[in-house]
Amino acid sequence: MHLPHSTLKQEFVKKWIMGLQRCKFSNKNMSIFERKKAIKLSADTAMASARKGLTCWSRALISNPDRPVPTRTRRASSACKKIVKRSRRIRRTAKCGGARKGQITRSIAQCLVRKRTQILKSLIPGGVFMNEVCLIEETLDYITSLRVQVDVMRSLASASARASEPHN
Amino acid sequence: MSGRRSGSGVSSISDDQITHLVFKLQQLIPELCARRSHKASASKVLQETCDYIRNLHKEVEDLSDRLSQLLASIDTDNDQAAIVRSLLM
Repeated sequence: MHLPHSTLKQEFVKKWIMGLQRCKFSNKNMSIFERKKAIKLSADTAMASARKGLTCWSRALISNPDRPVPTRTRRASSACKKIVKRSRRIRRTAKCGGARKGQITRSIAQCLVRKRTQILKSLIPGGVFMNEVCLIEETLDYITSLRVQVDVMRSLASASARASEPHN
Repeated sequence: MSGRRSGSGVSSISDDQITHLVFKLQQLIPELCARRSHKASASKVLQETCDYIRNLHKEVEDLSDRLSQLLASIDTDNDQAAIVRSLLM
């Protein structure tokens, strides 16, 4: 399932250029905002379709390309901070023996893992439907694809920046 | 995640499987892959993963912004511009 980096890159570039050509950037009446949306949409679609339907996140992204910015992350991260604060307080006031302390530490760790898993599910397209093993496998693939996307977009940005210079 | 013992009879997910996957994730995250030999805790790996993905998303947004401005202004007459124009427009 995991493609080598260069193959994935080629697939992405091919599909992204196809998508960008369809955007008709030569239309001068496009606003900067519309252009940005078109670029991002074509990049996300290219990234997802480069996986050729082999991963859940790519299918989820193609069927729902408008990735909502998760707003609950702030709440979830402040909940995490509360848990960590509470655990420090408990550790300080715990007068019982080592076994009980170990139990408390373990349950805090489990709580943190549960909260952070929920956050991760909100970040991966289609993550809410995945079990834990699937989620981690999909995350591994998603991160690899995101890196390729950023790589290629950076290269195009620097090529375009050079193209905009008056003398080459 | 690491706490799932014999409690839930439904899942046949082994702890080893999850630990191994979490370790693979650790190797992918730049913040954590420096400590190759030492396994970070699952909650730490998850936190760094979420932060890393958010950073990557932000980079894509910023690059889309930048590209939308750059591609709007490719009117110049150099070789690079001709290539980009023929490729994308």
